[in-house]
Amino acid sequence: MDRRNFLRYGAMAGAAAGALRLNPDFLFSSAHAQESKPLVFLSAENITGNWDPTAHTTLSQTNIEGFVMGFLTRAPMRPDNPDEVIYELATEINELDAHRLEIKLREGVTFHDGEPFTAKDVKATFEYGAQLDRPKQVYPGPTDTFEVTTPDDYTVVVDTTKGGYGASLFIFLASYLPMLSAKDVAAGPNGPLSQRLNGTGPFKFVEQRGNDTVMEAYADYFRGAPKIPGVTFSFVGDATTRMLSLMNGQADVIERLEPEQVQTLEGNEDIKLSRLVSVENKYLWFRCSKPPFDNPLLRKAAAHAIDRSIILEIMGTAGEASSNFVSPIKFGYTDLENYPEYDPDECQRLLAEAGYPGGEGLPELEYITSTGFYPKTKEYGEVITALLQEQGFPVTLNVMEVAAWNERLYDRPGGGPGHMVDCGWSTGSPEPDLVLRTHFHSTSKRICGIEDPEIDAALDAERNASSLDERRESLQTNLMPMLAEKVPALSLFTSVLIHGMRSDVEDLFIYPDGMSDASETTLS
Amino acid sequence: MFIARFLARRLAQGALIVFLVSALIFTLLRVVPGDPVRLMAGGMAPEALIEEIATNMGLRDPIYVQFGRYVGGILHGDLGQSFVRPANGAAVGGASFNDSTRSERAEVWSLIAETAPMTLQLALLAMVFALIIAIPIGVWGGLRPGRFPDRLALYTSSLFVSLPNFWLGIVLALLLSVKLQLVPAIGYNGFAYTILPAFVLAIEIAPFIIRTLTVSVAGVMGQSFIDIAAVRGLTRNQIIFRHALKNSSVPLLNLLGVQFSMLLGGVLVIEFIFDYPGLGLLTINAVMQRDFPLIQGIAIVTAAAFVLINIVVDLCATAIDPRLEY
Repeated sequence: MDRRNFLRYGAMAGAAAGALRLNPDFLFSSAHAQESKPLVFLSAENITGNWDPTAHTTLSQTNIEGFVMGFLTRAPMRPDNPDEVIYELATEINELDAHRLEIKLREGVTFHDGEPFTAKDVKATFEYGAQLDRPKQVYPGPTDTFEVTTPDDYTVVVDTTKGGYGASLFIFLASYLPMLSAKDVAAGPNGPLSQRLNGTGPFKFVEQRGNDTVMEAYADYFRGAPKIPGVTFSFVGDATTRMLSLMNGQADVIERLEPEQVQTLEGNEDIKLSRLVSVENKYLWFRCSKPPFDNPLLRKAAAHAIDRSIILEIMGTAGEASSNFVSPIKFGYTDLENYPEYDPDECQRLLAEAGYPGGEGLPELEYITSTGFYPKTKEYGEVITALLQEQGFPVTLNVMEVAAWNERLYDRPGGGPGHMVDCGWSTGSPEPDLVLRTHFHSTSKRICGIEDPEIDAALDAERNASSLDERRESLQTNLMPMLAEKVPALSLFTSVLIHGMRSDVEDLFIYPDGMSDASETTLS
Repeated sequence: MFIARFLARRLAQGALIVFLVSALIFTLLRVVPGDPVRLMAGGMAPEALIEEIATNMGLRDPIYVQFGRYVGGILHGDLGQSFVRPANGAAVGGASFNDSTRSERAEVWSLIAETAPMTLQLALLAMVFALIIAIPIGVWGGLRPGRFPDRLALYTSSLFVSLPNFWLGIVLALLLSVKLQLVPAIGYNGFAYTILPAFVLAIEIAPFIIRTLTVSVAGVMGQSFIDIAAVRGLTRNQIIFRHALKNSSVPLLNLLGVQFSMLLGGVLVIEFIFDYPGLGLLTINAVMQRDFPLIQGIAIVTAAAFVLINIVVDLCATAIDPRLEY
């Protein structure tokens, strides 16, 4: 065979092989001409791949659960009424006494696999979600600290006597933990729970197709079938790409708009914006488990060096002031009187009292932040670094890509990497314990690594309160002021969730944690 | 006989190149900061568990031992499993350290096999667009050296080469997709989604083709056999299409081979901007997630593709001009 024939036959074989796998979608399929199309939601964050709702704390996957799963209650968490709960799978929640809660359930609800939703599902979910090995463990304690009984198929009684804390905690937790099927739970974390979502919500999980999570309307949804045929929830990492998708009509809803994008889209009549004070606060976490920030005087000095009003200016529409360790839409929020404000004189006084006058003698400090995940972290990180340096803190800012930052984020034995870390924390419930206990109790201490018996005692005291009113008082007069005094972290601001959506998307309700209710949504 | 000798020699050279590339990538990945086990296991996993997982996976063995094991797998056709991606192929973030789906990771070969045709489609269309843009400008410029068409070719090339592809991608998406609604731009749901990213890539490639064509056509047209062809009574079009273009095509072919190889391995920015689900987007996510097996697999496949394309280009060149020796 000569060269020409070799090439000729090679080309023919290649063409034949190509023809065999010809893409049936090869011809044009316009994105603008689909009828009765599903809602296309573009997410800024990827998912974990494990569908067990208790196996992760990933916001994008939680948002998907919002479409598929059912909850006993939903918490709209409006700033003027953060304690409000709306019944969904529950029809009543009654405090029988300080340690007993009775939950009445909606009848006639079925899971997407056809199984009826009953009290045994609630019992299984509460017990499974409280297990210590669940990454999204439901507080306030492990399964042996409470008992769930089911007097009948549609009544659940939660008894926290054994744990000694108030049963009212479960009121807010009911809007945080999606209801799982007892049959799925019985198969354990290696069973169907991890393979797919099975809920009672308005949309059924169909499949994961690459980065697209495909959901279709559930005809037997107890409030009636959704008006749209389904929801496609896709991960698109680039903010500009998401915005372009919205502008050209390929996406119906996008999340996490940056302030500059808000300005771009505000004048566009085809697009509307949703701005919500979120459940997430952004924090500067001090590594309390190693020097020098194991000294509370030094932490407080650093907190007084930071002018949060400048950070808010940088954040623009994407940030809201918060003078507490939780978002203003969480139960128990109050503007703390002793929250550390920008005060250079006080900073210098505390530095001297800690034995580092003017910052002299302090070791080199590393401030770790990420870029590309949260808005403006690099920009305000530079401001914080400059403000700290101005007061004598020898700080170096280390801006990392998300994977590297994530690897260094959490506390480790002897203290995690660096001395200060930027990170937000968000949970989809008004329950403040999900943030405060997670981070500041010595049994958890996720990022700051603090171990302080006084804070532990204050956290236990508010948990053990016998009613919501008592809890509020304990939080506002004991725990929160104590945290402002010891400053294991400085809450910089509350994040604002900004969604962009096509103007023909009607009746999409977005919760402050990013979950959406599309059961009534229409696309004209 | 020539073919057999040529293929045997070039494939052996290619295998050596692929081996060296994989050794280099393998080593570099293991010395750069960022522990993949920490990312796999989740930030909250205890140190002891991190070490246990790493040891079980052989990641604490000496690099040469790990590499030997890896090469052994490749020889059996096994590129390994992704560290983080599940079998459904989604780009995922870290889950919990006791994630039960960890054992159901995607095969690297499957991930590459699913995405490579997408990139191939993009690269081929980009080449077609680039040739459509470049051939008229380049040939016209080469036929009139020193005059307006030549200057036009130079200015056009300079303009195209100066446009950053990420900027051009966004501007064209705004103009053609958002304003004029001519083509979709983001993701992939049919062939139409390839047009815009391919066009941006074509603008990026076209200057090199224009300059190569201008210079080589001008060079060929200045040779004596072209003058003789005119004396033989051939028309100008016959001279251009039968002689000048054919003789100019060898340097162009070499350039196209290199450009096509680069497209297959390096369309990272464009695929990221357009969320185009090809090898580039797969590579970006793999790097961000420290997904070592996936990065290694992509590197090996693209290196192999580079080698094969160059072999084909050389074969084509010798078919056009039998005087060439490779």
